[in-house]
Amino acid sequence: MNPRREEHEITVGFAGNAKKIKVKVDDRDLRPWDLETKFQTVGTDQARADGVAKVTGRARYAYDINLPGLLHGLIVRAPIAKGTLKALDLEAAKAMPGVKAVLATKQPGARIRFAGDDVAAIAAETLDAARDAAEKVRMEFTAEPHVTDVLEAPGAPKLDQDGEVTAPWPERGAERIETAIQAARHVRSATYRCEVQTHSSLETHGLTARWYGDRLTVWASTQATFGTRAGLAGTLRIPAENITVHTEFMGGGFGSKFQPGIEGVLACRLAKAADAPVKLMLSRHEEHTCAGNRPGAIIQIRAGVNDDGKITAFDYRCWGEPGFTGQGGGTRAPSDYFRDTARRDTQDNVATDMDAGRAMRAPGWPQGFFATELMLDELAAAIGMDPLEFRLKNDRNEVRLAEWRQGAEAFRWAERRNKTPGQPRAGGDPRWLHGCGLSSAAWGGMGGPGARVTCRIHADARVEVRNGAQDLGTGLKTVLQMLAAEELGIPVAMVTPFVGDTRDPVGPASGGSVTTPTMAPAVRHAAALARRELAARVAAKLGVDAAKVACAGGQVTVEGGQTLSFVDACKLLGSDTVEVVGERFPNHQGYANSVAGCQFAEVRVDRHTGLVQVLDMLAVQDCGTVVARKQAESQTLGAMIQGVSYALHEQRIVDHLTGRMVNGDFLYYKLTGPLDMPAMRAILFPVANGHTNVGAAGIGEPVAVAPAAAIANAVFNAIGVPVRHLPLTPDKILKALARARRV
Amino acid sequence: MRHPPEDGTPPTFSRRAFLKGASAAAVTGTVPGALPTAPSGPTSYAPGSHAITLSVNGGERRLEVEPRTTLLDALRDRLDLTGAKKICDRGACGGCTVELDGIAVNSCMVLAIDAVGMKVTTIEGLAPGEALHPLQEEFVHCDALQCGFCTPGFVMAAHACLNKHKNPDRATIQHELSGNLCRCGTYGRVFEAVERAAGRKG
Repeated sequence: MNPRREEHEITVGFAGNAKKIKVKVDDRDLRPWDLETKFQTVGTDQARADGVAKVTGRARYAYDINLPGLLHGLIVRAPIAKGTLKALDLEAAKAMPGVKAVLATKQPGARIRFAGDDVAAIAAETLDAARDAAEKVRMEFTAEPHVTDVLEAPGAPKLDQDGEVTAPWPERGAERIETAIQAARHVRSATYRCEVQTHSSLETHGLTARWYGDRLTVWASTQATFGTRAGLAGTLRIPAENITVHTEFMGGGFGSKFQPGIEGVLACRLAKAADAPVKLMLSRHEEHTCAGNRPGAIIQIRAGVNDDGKITAFDYRCWGEPGFTGQGGGTRAPSDYFRDTARRDTQDNVATDMDAGRAMRAPGWPQGFFATELMLDELAAAIGMDPLEFRLKNDRNEVRLAEWRQGAEAFRWAERRNKTPGQPRAGGDPRWLHGCGLSSAAWGGMGGPGARVTCRIHADARVEVRNGAQDLGTGLKTVLQMLAAEELGIPVAMVTPFVGDTRDPVGPASGGSVTTPTMAPAVRHAAALARRELAARVAAKLGVDAAKVACAGGQVTVEGGQTLSFVDACKLLGSDTVEVVGERFPNHQGYANSVAGCQFAEVRVDRHTGLVQVLDMLAVQDCGTVVARKQAESQTLGAMIQGVSYALHEQRIVDHLTGRMVNGDFLYYKLTGPLDMPAMRAILFPVANGHTNVGAAGIGEPVAVAPAAAIANAVFNAIGVPVRHLPLTPDKILKALARARRV
Repeated sequence: MRHPPEDGTPPTFSRRAFLKGASAAAVTGTVPGALPTAPSGPTSYAPGSHAITLSVNGGERRLEVEPRTTLLDALRDRLDLTGAKKICDRGACGGCTVELDGIAVNSCMVLAIDAVGMKVTTIEGLAPGEALHPLQEEFVHCDALQCGFCTPGFVMAAHACLNKHKNPDRATIQHELSGNLCRCGTYGRVFEAVERAAGRKG
């Protein structure tokens, strides 16, 4: 059955570039908010809905669940990187004090795929008792030679002493790109590298599981409550309806927590075997070594440009490093510069005997943007053009073109840029080299169908909005609260949001920056239905024609009669609570199908030690309709900080002899910390998209795409030579400086 | 106690290995580097369970711990005070920060038995009842949190910072919070919140 559609004319775009378009909207849905909508609550600064719970320590995460008789679980893991399990004896472990359940997860003969592959699981009265028992597990392995160095792995490209790929460009699809390269006035070719980054979520993976007969309740640290339920149902072979997943709070996932995982499944199995609730959370070392990562990459680019700065050819080749699965290491170059450029994109994966890569905040994009944006600056330098001018010349995204100009002015790009790369500032400390760089940002994140929201209005005028999906800390609860308040015309304090319980209506997995854009239209629809239902109830109580009663702007009005405040109208409900369920209708074609942004960074580089310090960063970012401004800014700033960490600090270091990560902790796996913080500013660039009734887009991922690229370009501007290998650690900087002196 | 060695030398033994040795030799001395063969202090604890009394958030709490039980595990698993988080369990992230006699410590690096006789303050004890401490109010006001998992540790570290410094400047705040990590990236707004709370106090 095709839904009936109503056509609305709405104004989309942004200030200075408004457009009227016609959208066809399901006639049960609402007219989309647009550029002319005057908001009361949306876009304002509001306190985070769960802020008080988090600052008082009252917020209970999966890690914090304590239950009577709770046992603590752990996983016993293989110390070898490749081979087979030869023998496994769990008897001594079972006999240890306090041990309540021991399970084998692999039988002799099973393959070991990486150092840290699971072998057995133990539940005991305390974690210390479980650890004692783990030491009694007798495991024997037949080890095989492993390869953990991506450059030594089969299929890896050979690099010369300067780190440049020596292999010829592929034959496939070569004709057009070769012609364009031949015809280009200037051609540059270079190889870029990114190291493996771990998600480093502060709450490790895992869950607390409790069985009630054949029914299972889990408190999970997950980005997908419904995905976790489905995953457990499939693996444990029990009906999904028997499982409840709770995730009221969760301590970070960044793309690594979409499934229950082996740790979640084992928590449930141990709880069943021990007939007691079990909490199984990974250790910090396991979190680094067994819970996914952002794959490393070797990226080779050759590009052609004309004297006027037009890019005419762009050939991009990537070897991803996704670990033992050998899949999912693809990276992504920006596309807005190359809409009418001869272009080729070749992606390969190189398997190593390490933990498998997982989605991580804009999977593949930060790597591809780093390589491409640095290449763009190298091209600009080759033809003597300012990098900003070069972007303005080639960027075909009209939102970003406006953002470049706004950002450049706010950052004072022209005056701050180092006019003599490699030279210290005149009159400044000669030890420090200063430079500025920039990068584009992009993402999709427009959301889609697959969400419902319950809205209840009680007689005490409390409004409840409920959805079963999870708030990762992005501010989903606040978004739900603010949108309901906006639609009902009441203060946000009258609305209480509830999330993270799979007994409530379905919601999305929080990946791809879709949570807010998917949920927002459903909660607005729910609140609108509740508003209409409240009016109908009031009409019935007052004995007037329902068509004559309207609820809007926080009051209920009877045509030609009285006006009741929202609170007084609710009193008429008695025990007869309003309860409605709002829908999420499919996106219609609005202004844009993606978001655009740009970032600017200033660094200084210590010529003596090679240390890079980021001094200042600015992001200008579009995320469609900004709902919860404060939280959207927080997420933007957070993605920039995570990007500083990726650019300068984070690197999985592996001992290739043993095949193990040697810095699987927070002492030697360096995250950006308080002392590394630059000045930072986030400007949200308002765009009316009109693709849903709210027009919100995601902001978690687009911002994460650009920082490493902008910082690498700033380093290039500071020291005068590009450093093409992330992270930009002192050793690489000193090497580059030494090379620059030789040239 | 909050910071790794100033000279950056890596620890030469793991805590677990040390604790195992310590429990086997029945010692009480837990000053880093103290050898299990050189017991010191008034009480010795043999391996196994011991009843101790901790002074937590103004109340006396009796609990059973092993000599190797960290203060963090005791608070979280025995006393159900889960505001302090177990994040790195090795003194590198500040997520488990509590105050011992007013001084911020990583509770994962303190044994519960060593906290006997000291005043333990956790995030739950920072403000009485439903009231918020000014720091907590400012963290909410500045939106100095996202997932919130590191937040109790930051609030406690900031509290200890304000105990030490009346009117700390930005550099002092950064230094005092440098033992804490946040993965969502809230540092800038945390600094703002601490500055605002310090201003209110002053």
